[in-house]
Amino acid sequence: MKQNSSLAVEWINSFQQYASEGIRNAARGFSTMLGENLVVKEPSFRQVAIGEIPKLLGGPETEAVGIYLRAEGDMSGQIMLVIPLQRALELSDMLMDLKPGTTTELGTLERSALGEVGNLTASFFLNSLSQLTGISTRPSPPAVMVDMVGAIMDIIIATCGGTSDYVLLMQTTFVCKQRSIETSFWVVPDQHTLDILSAEA
Amino acid sequence: MGDPISVGLGESVVSKKDGDVLVAYGLGSCVAVSMYDPQEKVCGLLHAVLPEDSIGSDTKTKYVDTGIEELLKSMEKAGAHRNHLIVRIAGGANMITSPGFSKSFDIGTRNIQAAHKTLEKLMLPLKSESVGGHMGRTVRFFVGSGQLTVRMIGGEEENL
Repeated sequence: MKQNSSLAVEWINSFQQYASEGIRNAARGFSTMLGENLVVKEPSFRQVAIGEIPKLLGGPETEAVGIYLRAEGDMSGQIMLVIPLQRALELSDMLMDLKPGTTTELGTLERSALGEVGNLTASFFLNSLSQLTGISTRPSPPAVMVDMVGAIMDIIIATCGGTSDYVLLMQTTFVCKQRSIETSFWVVPDQHTLDILSAEA
Repeated sequence: MGDPISVGLGESVVSKKDGDVLVAYGLGSCVAVSMYDPQEKVCGLLHAVLPEDSIGSDTKTKYVDTGIEELLKSMEKAGAHRNHLIVRIAGGANMITSPGFSKSFDIGTRNIQAAHKTLEKLMLPLKSESVGGHMGRTVRFFVGSGQLTVRMIGGEEENL
């Protein structure tokens, strides 16, 4: 199996600093929308074999909501927020200012609200990364999926799978103290961007 | 019934053991290709990720075209006859329907096309399929009976 030669440990360490700051900023974006402070769990950075990805979030058949965006510009990659289905229903209640337990399914309005969470979170993350590195990037409109984790993550796998058997994955979880909103935030930079950042480091 | 045998991304599994259940969980744009020889009771399941191997990859079962060829070889090695084979496919959904994303994201459709093309080239008739749409699928293949079921989120298992 191929591994990206550019993903040296030293380089990942330097990228972590930028990305960690970006993640904290992303949480601020998320908090702005919720009106409540979110706690960011320490982000982890690692190379993951593509075949392992669907197993990381409770198994490939687990029902979840995926909010997917592309980062476009001189820095590019993929961003995915994955929220367990039950947590997404709770998050929807919070976003719409409804009593807990009100939302039982995700219609157009609820999906749109969740898409906006992805949009704001990704924008805050990318803005921060762009300011720190001086390299421009912007998010695409979000796509919201309600499906099995395996099917949701196929998008990342199919996009990267042609060029590499491994991806650099940055993952963190946002937790709201008052109510349990666990959201995994995945960032998978494109190979082209890894090359640019590697040259900068 | 034995424990389910997970057929992961870019893998294929062949079994003759009555009671085994081969499972491809949560297929999105990926395609599962099943082959069954009802006389020799041999079952095989492929979980392919991408349509064509354009780089001569070591992992042939990652791709629909080379994966089907590999699965056929493994089936024959296990005693199956190609003239007996019942071939069914499932998966190939287009998970992203938002207008902001180009057709290039529709790898599911390209996977289905690659499966059709490869099966035609190998002169393997396709018995049935559950493909396309915008939802993921889990496929279960019961060795021995050759029963193949497909389940989508929130739905029941249905025979294919």
